Amino acid sequence: MIEFSSVEYRHPNGVLALRNIDLKIRKGEVLAIVGENGAGKTTLIKHTNGLLKPSKGKVTAFDMDTNDESVANLSRKIGIIFQNPDHQIFSESVENEVKFALKNFGFKEEAISERLEWALNFFDLERYRTTSPMLLSGGEKKRLCIASVLAWDPDVVVMDEPTVGQDFIQKERLIKIIQMLVSKGKTVVIVSHDIEFIWPLQPRVIVMCGGKIIADNKAGKIFQERELLNKARIVKPQLQELSEKIHGESSGAFSNIYDAKQWVISKLKSD
Amino acid sequence: MQWIAQGFIFRRITSPFHQLDPRVKLLVSIELFTLSLLVGSLPEVIIALSGIFAIASISKILRRISRTLTYTLFFAIIIFSINILVGYPLMDAFVIAVRFLAIVGSTSIFFLTTPPDELELVMKWFRLPRDIVFAFVTAVRFVPVLMMDALQIMDAQKSRGLELQKGNIFSRFRRFIPILIPLIVDAVLRSGDLAEAMEARAYGAVKKPTSLYQLEIGVWGKVATILSITLIVPLAYLFLFLM
Repeated sequence: MIEFSSVEYRHPNGVLALRNIDLKIRKGEVLAIVGENGAGKTTLIKHTNGLLKPSKGKVTAFDMDTNDESVANLSRKIGIIFQNPDHQIFSESVENEVKFALKNFGFKEEAISERLEWALNFFDLERYRTTSPMLLSGGEKKRLCIASVLAWDPDVVVMDEPTVGQDFIQKERLIKIIQMLVSKGKTVVIVSHDIEFIWPLQPRVIVMCGGKIIADNKAGKIFQERELLNKARIVKPQLQELSEKIHGESSGAFSNIYDAKQWVISKLKSD
Repeated sequence: MQWIAQGFIFRRITSPFHQLDPRVKLLVSIELFTLSLLVGSLPEVIIALSGIFAIASISKILRRISRTLTYTLFFAIIIFSINILVGYPLMDAFVIAVRFLAIVGSTSIFFLTTPPDELELVMKWFRLPRDIVFAFVTAVRFVPVLMMDALQIMDAQKSRGLELQKGNIFSRFRRFIPILIPLIVDAVLRSGDLAEAMEARAYGAVKKPTSLYQLEIGVWGKVATILSITLIVPLAYLFLFLM
């Protein structure tokens, strides 16, 4: 669906940010991109909708070469949710903020109303419909940004550091949204440092370091490789750590905090 | 856009010109600025621009100053067109437009080779009020930050289907509203955060705070000062009275 072939990207200041990237993002999968700061994660995702064009190699999305297509054309299929909500919010009301992209993409009035209602209800923003988005809290602004992208129903949803500034409840909610998207056949790409957030989703994980992809595997496998994690400066998920302490390194880990809690309770009862 | 933005961002480079005292750099910049103001013919413009590019080459900022001038070229073309429209001869209109480029180039030399900390020291040396110095230096320091913010906002809005290159000049201008509003709001929020952070670190607690760095001209600074004056003064005289 999205394919990177021998992609290199050099910033205008001469820094080589991506080196020899070969990557296929498949339909319906959850892909997590992890790595230290400056590893090239955000640069990589900006290639998916043509915001950045490769200096060498080729990126194709839905059989379109990103070099030949406009960002608007590609964004219709690939929605990117950026890290900082303050970098996109500008409308005088929440309603208009959601409508902005729908109008840009040429949706008809009827479809706009329908998509708007869905987005406001789904993200619990209905009561703020006429409120200025600038007055929302950090978590609400983030939800508004996600709503304004999901409103046009892109096939691929790319999230850049979605958990920054989010409390536990919001993160749980975000996990549910991602699971819902996957159940609808959408592809979700997450760039995050928050390993605890990624873990319950059990995604395919690619690890980046110095502009290169140094590992590509299932989360369960990646987070067992201590040397790899040290190289990419990533800390093992606590649930995996806990599971290894209880069952040994080769065993499967708890997939979420509730499974772990259940195990501890049943263990206490049996003892 | 990003290519142009790089032309406004100060970067620490090791060059003989960068190592000079900021007052000497300011003097050289003022001399080149004055020379640029005095030019009135094509040979004079060429001499002034050569001086600017020579200093830029010594300072290893030739590529970056070219970016700044590329951006300025847009305004130079407007100046040229207006002069032609009001009836100036072609060569005069050309000289006036290029003179504008030389003026921008001469001031860019100072700002591209002087970090904000040194700029602050120079302004304090001129005994300007501390609050004004702080406000000015902070504004200079935040130019690259705002540039990077603008690029990120553009990326976010383009990803939501905003096409900045579409339509006529008026609709293009209107399309910049989704870029300008978040940029202004972000700048206002950031200034509030900065004010709080400065107060939390005792800004304004004493009337005369001590300074970690002191200005010192040094031998090479004195040599550069004498050399620049001996070169520029005769040239300025030549431009004013002989050419």
